[in-house]
Amino acid sequence: MSRPLLPLFWREIESLFFSPLAYIVLTIFLVLNGFSFYSALELSGGVVDDAIALFFGDSPLFWLCLVAVPPLVTMRLVAEERRSGQLEVLLTAPVRDGEVIVAKFLGALVFQAFLWAPTLVYVAIIRNYGALPDPGQILTSYLGIAAVTALLTALGLLFSTLTNNQIVAAVASLTCNLLLLLVPMMGSSVGFAALAPALEHVSMTQHFAGSFSRGILDSATLVFYGASTLGLLVIATRSLELRRWR
Amino acid sequence: MIHTEGLTRRFHDLVAVDAIDLHVEPGEVFGFLGPNGAGKSTTIRILTGFLPATSGRALVAGHDVARESLAVRRRIGYLPESVALPIDARVEEYLDYRARLKAVPARDRARLMQHALEVCGLVPMRRRILSQLSRGYRQRVGLADALLADPPLLILDEPTGGLDPAQRQEVLDLIAALKGKRTVLFSSHVLTEVEHVCSRVAIIQRGRIVASGTRDELERSAGHPGEVAIEAAGAGERLAQSLSRRGIAHDRLPPDGCVAHLGAQGDPVGLLAALVGEGLPIGRFEPRTRSLQQIFLELTRT
Repeated sequence: MSRPLLPLFWREIESLFFSPLAYIVLTIFLVLNGFSFYSALELSGGVVDDAIALFFGDSPLFWLCLVAVPPLVTMRLVAEERRSGQLEVLLTAPVRDGEVIVAKFLGALVFQAFLWAPTLVYVAIIRNYGALPDPGQILTSYLGIAAVTALLTALGLLFSTLTNNQIVAAVASLTCNLLLLLVPMMGSSVGFAALAPALEHVSMTQHFAGSFSRGILDSATLVFYGASTLGLLVIATRSLELRRWR
Repeated sequence: MIHTEGLTRRFHDLVAVDAIDLHVEPGEVFGFLGPNGAGKSTTIRILTGFLPATSGRALVAGHDVARESLAVRRRIGYLPESVALPIDARVEEYLDYRARLKAVPARDRARLMQHALEVCGLVPMRRRILSQLSRGYRQRVGLADALLADPPLLILDEPTGGLDPAQRQEVLDLIAALKGKRTVLFSSHVLTEVEHVCSRVAIIQRGRIVASGTRDELERSAGHPGEVAIEAAGAGERLAQSLSRRGIAHDRLPPDGCVAHLGAQGDPVGLLAALVGEGLPIGRFEPRTRSLQQIFLELTRT
């Protein structure tokens, strides 16, 4: 990391972990995930691979956690700092706008890794019951979570640069995430049949069902998430620059 | 150190800064005066790289603010009008973070932090959480942050806002002590503060610089007010009669004097010669000058 990036990143981490909201999100997240895991075990009838596939991608609670957490984590990152005036203090220091965006993005990502880390306990529980989950399937599932979380975090960060109000940023970001999740799923059934093949390529649920939660790593899918995330971070940086003109 | 040419900033239809030409020499403490909403903070935000100008050019320490913003920001210490600090850090943690952000070398960090804490009277508060500080101390933390990297230029936007009289004096003494060592651009609408510390001032009104220079230059450029205080020992009545004969409006200044209202086109030297020629015992003949406050009020009257 370049010199200003490191202190910026640590400041974000400190700020995220200091926030009471972080612990509310963490608690709700763990309760929902615990229930999701319990349901996956019940519904799979003890078949480990099915339980893992159910937990990572086939459960509505999994998707709720995946799309709802990034907006809650990112909503205040720029919007609140702008409202409070901290952004002026930050951006008049010798730091680039891109460094600010990247540090905030990485901070939010590490915080969400901290949220997901306790779910590794579930793998240990499955092993405790004598079943042997496929390590590749576990690894690609977490890789899928990381890819989707990175994309939605970059999107949330972009919305946070567009407004001074963190609630507006969160609602706009959550709405966009739900559209990204639901439109490809319902595309063919609501009159977008012609677009169905294209929508399938950007469908997060398809990426999990056909790849991540099955232990398959598709390079095209990874490039899609990597490029989209990078593109959104560039737009967020431009948005931060452009906000100065208004 | 600061040089602007035709610096303009518009917000839609509002011209917040209107073709400002500003020149601040190295080592001087420059006062930027103006009523609230005159355009001081917008100008300062352009100089610090936070806001782009709509047109015009600004050079800070030889670097173009628009094209070399990072180089400019490396050379300034900035205290914004409203000091916004994170709520979750202690004073020294925050200053350490800011020092790292400003790329202060690790070997100098502790020394510069200690200096900033001492100069701003924050040593007893170094372990306090920022959210627990009073407004005055928060202002001091902002000032310590501005001083931290030992920059050649300090831009202080209303640095005494929210401070009690003792704290205000301490900050002014600190700024005065920097004279000759650092360049300071110091904005305020409190004239006594500016008179106390600044070698030159610019007065801004509705986005335009309406006057600039040293205090003496401002007084001269504003012109004399056309009033002369005259005293003639034991001959106050004769003096008043003489002024009346000449058609000069005047007020009595007890016991033996008058204030003659000559007007801006009047001839005080000719009047003195005439009064002496009449044999009046003139003990005092003093053209009245304007205070900085009067000049400011005249120039910024809406």
